[in-house]
Amino acid sequence: MEMTLLIGLDAASYILTLLLVCIGLVIIFGMMNVINLAHGEFFLLGAYTVVLLQQYALPFAVVLVAAFAFVALIGLIIEELVIRRIYHRFLDTILATWGISLALKQLVIVLFGPGSQQAVAPFTEPIAMFGITYSSYRLFVMGMAIMIAAITFLILFRTRWGLTARGVIANRQMASCLGVNTRRVDRVTFAFGSGLAGLAGAIMAPLMSVDPQMGVGFLVPAFLSVLVGGTASPLGALWGAGIIGGSNSVVAAIWTPVIAQIVVFSLAIVVIRLMPNGVTGRRKR
Amino acid sequence: MLNVRDLKAGYIRGAPVLKGLDLDLARGDCIALMGRNGMGKTTFLKALMGVLPHISGSIRFLDQELVALPPYRISNVGIAYVPQGREIFPDFTVEQNLTMGRISKPKQRNESFDFIYEYFPILAERHKQLGGTMSGGQQQQLAIARALVGRPDLLLLDEPSEGIQPSIVQEMAAILRRIVEQEKMTVIVVEQNLDLVRRLAHHVRFIENGLIKSGVAVDEINKNPAIISRYLSV
Repeated sequence: MEMTLLIGLDAASYILTLLLVCIGLVIIFGMMNVINLAHGEFFLLGAYTVVLLQQYALPFAVVLVAAFAFVALIGLIIEELVIRRIYHRFLDTILATWGISLALKQLVIVLFGPGSQQAVAPFTEPIAMFGITYSSYRLFVMGMAIMIAAITFLILFRTRWGLTARGVIANRQMASCLGVNTRRVDRVTFAFGSGLAGLAGAIMAPLMSVDPQMGVGFLVPAFLSVLVGGTASPLGALWGAGIIGGSNSVVAAIWTPVIAQIVVFSLAIVVIRLMPNGVTGRRKR
Repeated sequence: MLNVRDLKAGYIRGAPVLKGLDLDLARGDCIALMGRNGMGKTTFLKALMGVLPHISGSIRFLDQELVALPPYRISNVGIAYVPQGREIFPDFTVEQNLTMGRISKPKQRNESFDFIYEYFPILAERHKQLGGTMSGGQQQQLAIARALVGRPDLLLLDEPSEGIQPSIVQEMAAILRRIVEQEKMTVIVVEQNLDLVRRLAHHVRFIENGLIKSGVAVDEINKNPAIISRYLSV
């Protein structure tokens, strides 16, 4: 019983962590159709913001907001300098964002060194419940993931700004003929997605070793989740994270992480083969 | 109100579709632009809206030069565009589609849609329905309504009768007529359907090889159908 509960909690934790990393990708990859290989580095920058600001003993909430704002700003600059010139050039996007990814990673190495840094969790006391003890910070991460996903969906589906952004993505030229400054919407949307990646990195930092490679580990499963979930609706990421994260952690707990990887990739291939537009993808224009 | 001079525009550099076109409109004018396929009717509307990549000449509208402005600035000086094929947002509800029409116009942002629903009662009835699930005629009404919520001074309509049954075309012509009169709007309508042109426009201008040729009052066409065949028959 305890074992099942523990595996269930671990699975939920992994799914929600993946969801947390996915949300930024949903916006930049799913909605804007930009393959941003520097997404992992945005995550990284968020984590390093925590390492840096914790030296000044700032409250954790302030640190999180700062990580979001800082990485959003970086995203804004990168959009203006690079991304806006290559929105419709698929391969160039991959090449350019890969370059940005390398540059950002090296910059971090120059500033902080190649070694791993430590971010401190604001609370570490494990919580005991139903006969098991579980890390309170992991529970916090899960709660944050749900909250951030909910807020993002509310912004996208319940605000004027979200409607504008979805309108621009659905039909850019018509939106601009209706008076929408599509360049401004692009900038803000990309910055928002980048900021969410930074926030995910900041929230995850205390659970991980903060080193220049930390972004990579989440990037592949996150992209897979968005693909499996489908990009027709931002809600696809929920499905994707559930399928990828759930199967990975359950199989890893029962067998080994290696078999889990094999199962996850096979599952992703099958799903994408049978449903090329993902689980939620009815159609894609 | 609108003065177009020597307008050259097209999709490919060095191959203009419009070849030095001139046109003057006064406030309240309602003209139909007719001509054979490929003569530049749609291209002219697109040039006015600023969506063509290559454009030169002059478009003065309400004392502003529009050439080289991006479409959103042109929209915000008061020109609204109902494109061929309607281009409504299929995944948005009727209400959200209408909201998109004024979302970047601070003055209209908090207006109610009641005046629109008065012209188009079907849209009020279906305000929660997804745009993409409506019939062609309803989508066309939605596209026109979306253009109107921004309270434009000049309305550009591209083939509003396309793909719509004849009975609905008549109904729509009547609605448009009422809107033009009550809102004191200036209109350029590109149209092949003579029935709609007769019911809506005051004047007909013919476009040929990227130039606007002669114009006649709509009454003239009723009296002398030969004018039409001169410009429209193949």
